[in-house]
Amino acid sequence: MRVLFIPAACMLVFACGPSATTVSMPPKFLPEAAPGVLRAPGDFSVIADKSDRSRALFVEASRVLLGPRCANCHPNDDSPRQGEFSTLHDPPVTRGPEGTGVVAMQCSSCHQGENAKLAHVPGAPGWRLAPKSMAWIGKSPADICEQLKDPARNGGRTLAQLVEHFEHDALVAWGWAPGEGRAASLGSQAQLAALVSAWIEAGAVCPTPVSPEGAK
Amino acid sequence: MITVTINGKPQDLDVDPEMPILWVLRDVLGLTGTKFGCGEALCGACTVHLDGDVIRSCVTPIRHADGKKLTTIEGLSEAGDHPLQKAWVELGVPQCGYCQSGQIMSAAALLVKKPKPTDQEIDQSLAGNLCRCGTYIRIRAAVKKAAGV
Amino acid sequence: MARISLVRRSFLQALGLGGAAFALGIEHAEAGPPKAKPNGKVDPDASTLAAVWVHHPFIAIAANGAVTIASHRAEMGQGVRSTLPVLMADELGADMKQVSLRQADGDEAYGDQSTDGSTSVRSHYEDLRKIAATARMMLIAGVAKKWKVEPSTCVATHHAINHPPSKRSMSFGEASLLAATMPVPDVKTVELRPESELTSLFRDLPHLDAFDMSTGRAQYGADIRLPGMLVAVIARPPVVFGKVKSFDPAPALAIKGVRKVVEMPAPKPPCHFQPLGGVAVIAENTWSAMRGRRALEIKWDDGDNRTYDSIAYRETLLASVRAKGEVVRKLGDVDAALAAAKKKVEAEYVLPHLAHAPMEPPACLAHFKGDSCEVWAPTQEPQDARDEVAKALGLDKKKVTVHMTFLGGAFGRKAKPDFIVEAALLSKMAGAPVRVQWTREDDIRHGYYHSTCAHRFSAGMDATGKVTAWLHRCAFPSISSTFANGVTHAGAGELQQGTTDFPLAVPNFRMENGEAKAHVRIGWLRSVHNINYAFAAGSFIDELAVARAADPRDMLLEIVGPARVLSAADLGVAKASNYGAPLDKHPIDTARLRRVIERVTELADWTSARKSGRFLGLAAHRSFLSYVAVVMSVVMDGGKPRVDEAWIVADAGKVLNHDRARAQMEGAIIFGIGLAMHGAITMKNGAVEQGNFRDYRIARIGEVPSKLHIELVKSDRPPGGIGEPGLPPVAPALANAVFAATGKRIRELPLMKSL
Repeated sequence: MRVLFIPAACMLVFACGPSATTVSMPPKFLPEAAPGVLRAPGDFSVIADKSDRSRALFVEASRVLLGPRCANCHPNDDSPRQGEFSTLHDPPVTRGPEGTGVVAMQCSSCHQGENAKLAHVPGAPGWRLAPKSMAWIGKSPADICEQLKDPARNGGRTLAQLVEHFEHDALVAWGWAPGEGRAASLGSQAQLAALVSAWIEAGAVCPTPVSPEGAK
Repeated sequence: MITVTINGKPQDLDVDPEMPILWVLRDVLGLTGTKFGCGEALCGACTVHLDGDVIRSCVTPIRHADGKKLTTIEGLSEAGDHPLQKAWVELGVPQCGYCQSGQIMSAAALLVKKPKPTDQEIDQSLAGNLCRCGTYIRIRAAVKKAAGV
Repeated sequence: MARISLVRRSFLQALGLGGAAFALGIEHAEAGPPKAKPNGKVDPDASTLAAVWVHHPFIAIAANGAVTIASHRAEMGQGVRSTLPVLMADELGADMKQVSLRQADGDEAYGDQSTDGSTSVRSHYEDLRKIAATARMMLIAGVAKKWKVEPSTCVATHHAINHPPSKRSMSFGEASLLAATMPVPDVKTVELRPESELTSLFRDLPHLDAFDMSTGRAQYGADIRLPGMLVAVIARPPVVFGKVKSFDPAPALAIKGVRKVVEMPAPKPPCHFQPLGGVAVIAENTWSAMRGRRALEIKWDDGDNRTYDSIAYRETLLASVRAKGEVVRKLGDVDAALAAAKKKVEAEYVLPHLAHAPMEPPACLAHFKGDSCEVWAPTQEPQDARDEVAKALGLDKKKVTVHMTFLGGAFGRKAKPDFIVEAALLSKMAGAPVRVQWTREDDIRHGYYHSTCAHRFSAGMDATGKVTAWLHRCAFPSISSTFANGVTHAGAGELQQGTTDFPLAVPNFRMENGEAKAHVRIGWLRSVHNINYAFAAGSFIDELAVARAADPRDMLLEIVGPARVLSAADLGVAKASNYGAPLDKHPIDTARLRRVIERVTELADWTSARKSGRFLGLAAHRSFLSYVAVVMSVVMDGGKPRVDEAWIVADAGKVLNHDRARAQMEGAIIFGIGLAMHGAITMKNGAVEQGNFRDYRIARIGEVPSKLHIELVKSDRPPGGIGEPGLPPVAPALANAVFAATGKRIRELPLMKSL
């Protein structure tokens, strides 16, 4: 399989240039997921089955969601994470009732609307933790998908509003402008929104949960 | 021009809007009670209140304070007799004393919101204030003393 | 203790003590402990000395009764200002309400001002009393002469000279006018009060600086401001003895507020207290200086130390302790005893470099005025600072004034005046007062680091489980390497910190010190090598207990042995350094070590608490002439140990200020938890890898026990150290508790890397 994939990926580069977003011709193969590269929705058109395609699109989007820039503030407990390895945030700030910290240790005590100039303190408008119902850390793409679709757990959003959130939210946008010393999220905010959009168009089907043994 | 009410007194400041509040306080205004410890919002020595909320002044540009009220340790009480300051003296909290302005400013914000804090609430709210001498045990006791718990 | 001198009144005017009628200064106190490095000598010219004294009186009494007492040592959190002046006031008979403090400048006229080695009380207790007693005798002499009574019938109490037989009383203020006319008695004739009359001491004393420190009024190194003052931030070579190859000042100069960009002189080996060199950005404010430094483009020549790598060096140290080293202590025949042993236990321990990381990063204001220089600095060693500034500027040291500010923590870092010399040099270059401001990154990356080390133990037990042989090898880069070239082994003053003075009731032992060369500046950090030795030995004794299925407390008491006083011969050394104190005054007394162990385990309810499932660890250590034992209780919390309760018992002899002594023990526990859990400085390509509190972590409030029990042993022995002795037993007690909880033996710090 690998032998086949490599020439296909090379052809793609020859045909379309380095940017995956400008793909105009449907490729014959789905390019292999490469480190640091987010595949575009068009790459997935090779998957004929709509539901399978929808699932695959979500898995691709979840590569962004589970990256440290997003997941660090979607913890399943009361402590944000930080850094490329998602270590516990230090100073040890606590979630608090609104996800904005506790008195005297609010997110906004240190984080402003933008990354700090000489310090390594990141910032973006509305810096806060996602509610626990939206936790991503420790969850599979299938879990995250189900939870994203569930208005009871996604902040009462419709699917269209989800796309809107991914596409325009300023805090989400920070993932691609995280400041010096931090790796940006995969792809771009527009690419993420496009993937989510394509996932919805293909039926918003969630990936099949994987049992511990790895069997479907 | 940036206008900030500092310890109750409106001040017009002709400074680089990006200059962190800490250096405006210390270098421009001579309010040296607020300390520099890390420059990265990791130690809390520079803690002040902006419109009543705790901020780390070492990473907050002065433009954020435009039109707002800033309170430093010098303005926490006129005679140095805030209940926390009294408790700090009574229990002999400070060792070297360098971090204590920040500790007290964090604790003061806590007591406004939680007048009777638990140990856990104290630990959570003061989690951003480092003390290298190791006065934490007395800090907890003094916060509770000031709160009357 | 040398001559005490009356200060002439004309000089008091100049000092702002114009109201003083009477003031005493001291020429030179010889009684300080020998210093590790040479200190300047007092100018023997008497007329010069007179000029020095008068600017530095210890005690001044005004005609209105106001007493001013100099605090001649550095206040860095140990509470010395709230303690030693009270001692002098009490000896004098003054009422503390009428006493004000004057922070002394750095001057040999004060005798030893090195605020290091937990010496403030233990080395100055008698000298300071003698000065105050001299003043008291002169007050009494003056009044007795006027009243025509025997001086011996007068007493100085309640800020007055009283003559009980005639019920007469004269206030200190009035008496000071008479005292000023009396000759200064020979120090040999000065009589101290019986200690029972020191009624203000040996209890909790008021914390005199707590108010200023709680209101932002206390002034630290960076808080002093002068008109026209500039601020400098320096880009220093990332590797020690690295040099600037080239740099472009233009981008820095383009930043608003930046006035000057200058290259600092490069140091020559050995490091000593020289600044590290680099490029300084001098600006109108700190923010501009910091931005300017960020904009600098510097090419460095990293020099020979660029190969220093912590991971490789760890192996070097281990190789060193696996081979025979220089024998520094021995008794009996350890090789034969090991060969004959029924059971052998061996273990190796490794500790990393540490940085002091006081909350106040180094900062200093200097004002060079052409032929003189005035400095305001948070310094533990104002005399060294003065010497170094004078040397760097080519000035006579009489032309250099070093004012001591409060120290925002120090822990040994601020005993090294490199940052003070930087400020002095830059003030000269800038032609203006300059404050050098170190950032936290500067502090973490350009320290005088606590020595990393390896320790190896081999113990042999006989058939009954008794330890019959103890072979200990250690290797670590020496502090001496900072002051001399070619140093390969530790000095006696370093080895005494556990290796050569730890009491051992083992018939055959040998201690060896292996080779270890330094590649960074090595310095002393609170408790110094005691941290390393106490961790290694304290853990090993716990391992012996496990090997023998014994209670760790019993094992520790057995190794310490029966109550006895150890001579140098008992220790197996030619001479016991004993922290500069004579053994007859400060013996190595195992009864005292046993007592703190017994008492701390009693307080912790050691036996039944362990039976009931609590995880306790114990360690004890003598350092700086004091004896401390610690019990830590841990709970495992998501794989991470958390100390839920701790007990510390200290026998520091007579304790002048109980409250500050307890505060030091609290601080030691918390400082110790921080270093045991997180503390590590590592080097790669010769440069420090950490930079701020995110990667060099110290304890936060949530990591400290909710219950801490402190007991000071009531004692009439001479005062021992307070600031440092609490720390060494903390890390081993914690590691032993973690073993109790998890069965995992921690042989390398920090704990969080070993777990």
